[in-house]
Amino acid sequence: MIDPTLVLQALVSGVLAAGLYALVSVGLALAIGVIGIVNFAHGEFFMVGAFFAYQLFVSFGIDPVVSLFLVAPALGLIGALIYASTIRFVLKAPELNQMLLTFGLGIILQNLALLVWGGDPRTISGIAYRSIGFQIGPISVGLVPLASFVISLALVLGLYWMLARTATGRAMRAVAQNRIGAALVGLEVDRVYLVAFALSALLAGIGGVMIAVIQSPTPTIGLAFTLKAFAIVVVAGLGNIRGVLFASLFVAIAESMVATLVPNGDTLRNAVFFAIIFVVLVWRSRRVA
Amino acid sequence: MHRTVRTLFTLLALIALGAAAAQGVTIGVLTPLTGGAAGTGQAQRAGFELALEEINAAGGVLGAPLAIVIEDTQANPAVGLAAFEKLMTEDGVEFIAGGFSSGVTLALVESFRTFQPIVMWIGGAVSGIGIDGFDGIEELIGQEDWFFHVHPWDYHNVEAATAFVADTGSQSVALLHEDSAFGGPGSAGAQALIEGAGLTVPLREAFTSTLLGGTGDFRAAIAKAAATDADLLYWIGYDSDVVPLTSQVRELNYNPQYIFGAPPGWPTEFAAAPEAQCVTGLIGFLPNLPTPEAAAFTTAYQAKFGAEPDNYFSALAYANLWAYADAINAAGTTDQGAVIAELEAGTFRSPIGDWSFEPSVVGKHQGFTTDLWLVFQYQDGVREIVWPIEKATAPLVSCR
Repeated sequence: MIDPTLVLQALVSGVLAAGLYALVSVGLALAIGVIGIVNFAHGEFFMVGAFFAYQLFVSFGIDPVVSLFLVAPALGLIGALIYASTIRFVLKAPELNQMLLTFGLGIILQNLALLVWGGDPRTISGIAYRSIGFQIGPISVGLVPLASFVISLALVLGLYWMLARTATGRAMRAVAQNRIGAALVGLEVDRVYLVAFALSALLAGIGGVMIAVIQSPTPTIGLAFTLKAFAIVVVAGLGNIRGVLFASLFVAIAESMVATLVPNGDTLRNAVFFAIIFVVLVWRSRRVA
Repeated sequence: MHRTVRTLFTLLALIALGAAAAQGVTIGVLTPLTGGAAGTGQAQRAGFELALEEINAAGGVLGAPLAIVIEDTQANPAVGLAAFEKLMTEDGVEFIAGGFSSGVTLALVESFRTFQPIVMWIGGAVSGIGIDGFDGIEELIGQEDWFFHVHPWDYHNVEAATAFVADTGSQSVALLHEDSAFGGPGSAGAQALIEGAGLTVPLREAFTSTLLGGTGDFRAAIAKAAATDADLLYWIGYDSDVVPLTSQVRELNYNPQYIFGAPPGWPTEFAAAPEAQCVTGLIGFLPNLPTPEAAAFTTAYQAKFGAEPDNYFSALAYANLWAYADAINAAGTTDQGAVIAELEAGTFRSPIGDWSFEPSVVGKHQGFTTDLWLVFQYQDGVREIVWPIEKATAPLVSCR
């Protein structure tokens, strides 16, 4: 007999987890959709954001709620620098070269983190709100997951608004649709790419701060979230930024339900998202055929 | 002519022998310096480096400075295998130390058999004792003359943990475990022993560790444990699981009497985290262990590295290298048979106290067993030893 409380708790946990998934995925979708590059170092931006939040707490006692406003622009700047110094030179190169470059960047960032912070899991220790949960009947809603969901939702919706309503957003959409056409009408394509890549890194940085609160950052923490982000971006459709929110909800709720309702279900989380990718790709290919 | 050639060869052989003697003994170390288990690997490196400094200050091994070559396994079986073969074929070492991760150790078994150096191993705890149809490291190479296992086997860990759990007076235990060669067999053994002690185990549930690709969302497994209302939550996972797991237990309002964790190490800053309060854990060494050996090791470690040895693998690594140095010096040679005889007969120093190799259930040479383990409890930011009673620095307190 399935306990209805567990099912309801799984639903709530899944919805709240979707916020963070969406935040991490939307940055990746932005890089793929606008610049056309699959950024394998995306998870490492996320990891660097987590370590920056940790360091600001350890060195200056800055709470992650505040450091969010420092880490995000810092990651945006790092993203811009990485774009200007490496990515822009391979945009016309074969896709394999682009992937190798971003994969290499990821390894460099991981090893830099290892040099600076070591391999031990790091903990932002003095925050009491990490463990707070609100009881609503038999259901518990964690303060941090709730806050990360609200922030993520606001950022993702803000990004949608920016893409639809601002000149920069419209430029990004134009470049995404037709790079040459956009250049012909006077858009500075390279500048648009730089802004899009910086924005992608900035969003990853915000996700990193959240993860620094939720768990203990290590140099390899980015990989698990990169995999989730790829799954979500595939489900949403490569480059479909608008579909990311719904795909995140779908993946997160499916994972949470399987983890709760199946014995030892937590170990099937990765199987769930790979199964989703498989089904979606097969379904899409049949639809095209 | 023949005499001249013979003399020349003899001279060359003597020069080669002299050069080898001057170079001294080199021990090959395998440990995860990078990757998700790098914290433990770095702790091992610190222990090895401290021991190396002390050994060479005391005259070295066979009259020459001892050397170590450390290779990074990344806690990855394929990388570990390549690192071991490099030590054997390129570095030509005859002695292997270090070790972490049962998965890496299992991958190395066949290669160990091929090269057969002396392997004195401080990681890789998985044994098949109590698990039908499964051969662990103990069954696969425990009876080899050249294999010496320093770290307790997983059933030793579970025996110690179960003895503590029984001493808490708990009636029911919810078991959460990570799902690899570390947590899977360990939790099966734990369930059998806990039930054998007369307690009930209403739940044994697996999760994916953050070390092995999990995102750190353990709410589903914790919600199931909370639904059982067990007195004690017992979890087996890795260091990086500590914060998300303990904070999510509080967040979901699961309030067991005791929370007991068995990761290989604990995050350094976790002691100061509010969710650490009352969490208990198994550990092989703590700087506040009330013995002169522990105090001496802690003082030397602090002087060299500027921090306390908060991962017990640094103490095991220290014991590991000193045992090699003492055994080879006692043998007076690097001949494998002579060194094995000294390792079998000797008593060695360690920060935990004197130790020696004895047979285990299947293995021929087992260093530490159940007696290594201490249970600590986070109490107001300090890890107090609460079990066994004779080593306790504070009484155990309930989380409720």
